Amino acid sequence: MTGVVLYASLVGFGFFTGGAAGLLGVGGGIMMVPFLTLVAGVSQHAAQATSLLVVLPTAVVATIVLHRRGVGDPALALRFGAIGAVGGVVGALLALALPGQLLRLIFAAFLLVVAVRLVRDGVTSR
Amino acid sequence: MTDVSPPRRGRLDRRFAAIGGAGGLLSGLLGVGGGVVMVPLLVLRAGYRQREAHAMSLGAIIPISLASVVTYGVAGEVRVGYALALAVGSVFGARVGAGVLARIQERPLKIAFGLFLGAVSILLVTR
Repeated sequence: MTGVVLYASLVGFGFFTGGAAGLLGVGGGIMMVPFLTLVAGVSQHAAQATSLLVVLPTAVVATIVLHRRGVGDPALALRFGAIGAVGGVVGALLALALPGQLLRLIFAAFLLVVAVRLVRDGVTSR
Repeated sequence: MTDVSPPRRGRLDRRFAAIGGAGGLLSGLLGVGGGVVMVPLLVLRAGYRQREAHAMSLGAIIPISLASVVTYGVAGEVRVGYALALAVGSVFGARVGAGVLARIQERPLKIAFGLFLGAVSILLVTR
């Protein structure tokens, strides 16, 4: 895919990931990175860097919208995230020294357990 | 679903800070976004309601992604044109999504996030 069609599909896909991100409380990188590598033909590393640049304005807009609706506590969230940013740097350095594939499988299992629990709670709670 | 009491509003206590640090650490370690890690931790370990956890996660993503953008930006890997096209769609999408988040019920939100996490876990194993 090239040219105008590619850019139009990027805008369209961006609208979809932005909507999902704003609802689900995530950045949307996990959806954008595969799209950039598979459809736009971007390398994995460049796709991650590019998606991060999209995540930032997405999170800012979603946070402003929520604050106006009286949801959340942006000042606390920013401080919470600042600690997370430090943790992220440490994690990225650790990733170079640890077996990535094994960690990913363990984490996938954890997510699956949480996913089942949340869906079950959502279905059974009043 | 949990007997843990939520932290007092506006206070960044030790447990809460630990969740932030762990969320960042795991996302850096595994190469996934912070939200996938922070939302479950905030709901299961800090006693947050689903909606409040999502809002907290979105706010926290701002400094986390800023730090990462600076790191990657230095490496010169960003495709600016692609990022702009995605961002144009994404900021409008975010307005719609956050608007829905502000008024959706707890139950469908839990189910939606649970299904999303299930999809992410499959993606992590298959990629």
